[in-house]
Amino acid sequence: MNRIAAWTVISLLLVFLIGPFIIILGAALSAGPVMAFPPDGLSLQWFEKVFSIDSFRSSFAISIWLGLCSPLAALILGVPASYAMARYDVRGAELVRLLVSAPIIVPGIIVGLALLRYLVIPTGIGIGLALFLAHTALVLPYAVRVVSASMDNLRADIEEAAVMLGCSRLGAFLRVVLPNIRGGILAAFILGFVTSFNEVPVALFLSGPGITTLPIDMIGYMEITYDPSVAALAALLAALSIAIVFAAERFLGLSRYV
Amino acid sequence: MSSSVFGNRTTGLSLTLPAALFAAALFLVPVAILLSEAFVGPEGGFSLSAYSDFFADPRYRAVFWRTLKLGVLVTLTAAIIGYVAAFAIVSLPPKSRGRIFGLVILPLMISPVARTYAWLVILGRTGIVNETLGLFGIEPIRFLFTETAVFIGLLQLFMPLMIVSLISAMENMPSDAVPAARLLGASWVQVFLRVILPLTREGLVIGGTLVFTGSLTAYITPAILGGSKVLMLETLLYQRVTVARDFASASVIALILILMCFGANLVLRRLATVKRRTAA
Repeated sequence: MNRIAAWTVISLLLVFLIGPFIIILGAALSAGPVMAFPPDGLSLQWFEKVFSIDSFRSSFAISIWLGLCSPLAALILGVPASYAMARYDVRGAELVRLLVSAPIIVPGIIVGLALLRYLVIPTGIGIGLALFLAHTALVLPYAVRVVSASMDNLRADIEEAAVMLGCSRLGAFLRVVLPNIRGGILAAFILGFVTSFNEVPVALFLSGPGITTLPIDMIGYMEITYDPSVAALAALLAALSIAIVFAAERFLGLSRYV
Repeated sequence: MSSSVFGNRTTGLSLTLPAALFAAALFLVPVAILLSEAFVGPEGGFSLSAYSDFFADPRYRAVFWRTLKLGVLVTLTAAIIGYVAAFAIVSLPPKSRGRIFGLVILPLMISPVARTYAWLVILGRTGIVNETLGLFGIEPIRFLFTETAVFIGLLQLFMPLMIVSLISAMENMPSDAVPAARLLGASWVQVFLRVILPLTREGLVIGGTLVFTGSLTAYITPAILGGSKVLMLETLLYQRVTVARDFASASVIALILILMCFGANLVLRRLATVKRRTAA
């Protein structure tokens, strides 16, 4: 393909893929009362309004909380599992892999409904706890996959050497393995945060009075109002995701792990 | 691994068990109960009446076919555009290739709610498309709450997955394969069918599976751009539960969705391996 043709194709593609975000930003900067592009004059009023809406503040806090805690819990479960599958001859390792990756295969909306009906209602646990457990299971596959990838790149004989030189198994894991898979663990954490933070289908049924994740809250708000404050919020969220991914790529080389 | 240090099977098992049990307890058990619900008749006992009721209703059948149709259309379109785009991106020098690749995967990291919302602004009655048409004196066209809107939204949402899969497949292609075929007089159509397609089949299958299952199970896009006028299986499930507390239909839809996803996985994987064997 010659250069002009290649760049034409790529420009058109990027207009389709990235263009909508520029439009969100434009609409969010509008001074008028309804969504419009090009905006009717420029103002930051809709950005201010986002911060004044109480429900957005509380659902944002819940989403951040979930985004931090669920990848952490998933790593606590996932790191030992990935380590064992890489180092030991675990019987049924394939079954474990399949089980752990089930959350990717089963559509989220079904999981949300199933958990609501057969976990939340019978046991009476709070929606918040159910969301936390569900999101942990949801990011577990990413944690296992990313950490397994870094385990595969780590030679087993370094660890064996540490053990033969008198290190305990746990000591060897903490002092030899863990520092070497640190990058993978961080990458899994960031990927988990972004996944949990943007997640909709599971949280659709797992939301109750006072406990809703930010994306669900936004959908609810959009259904009743058509003002540009959702555009402002969407623009802020897009900027947040881009900043996280950019920083992760810059400092960690995130794309090596994904 | 069978070395002395890693020989202990019990340790290995006890390290993997927590993750496996957690996934089983939170996913497998509740989902299995949910799926079994549709097989119990009104008077208890095994029954398929929920399924026959579901497929007897023409509105539900329409939703089923629409979901399948949109899934296939989005996947095919993403594959066609994906090949052209991936080929263009791979032909760039490494530095700009990396940058463009970053821009292509960027949308994947952004909230799908934000991504779908943009299309409201673009396709709405006072949106960019209609405003532009208005400049030429054309009456506004209703895009929102049509299949077209849902199609466009899904395509934008999932196309990066196809492009990424195809790029990694093309990067593994021997770099002189295409120039060699051209030199030997093959037309571009022949080059695509006889060289590029066979060598990138695996990437196409991975991308196709991701796009197809993603489109089938997307909720936000049909909910926002299709509304109750253009229901897909996911939005129908949500509506049956929230509006009518009709858990039998929800259970039926859940099994259909899971089977469609598994089916797509199996069929496409089969396709990839069979063709590779005949090509070799």
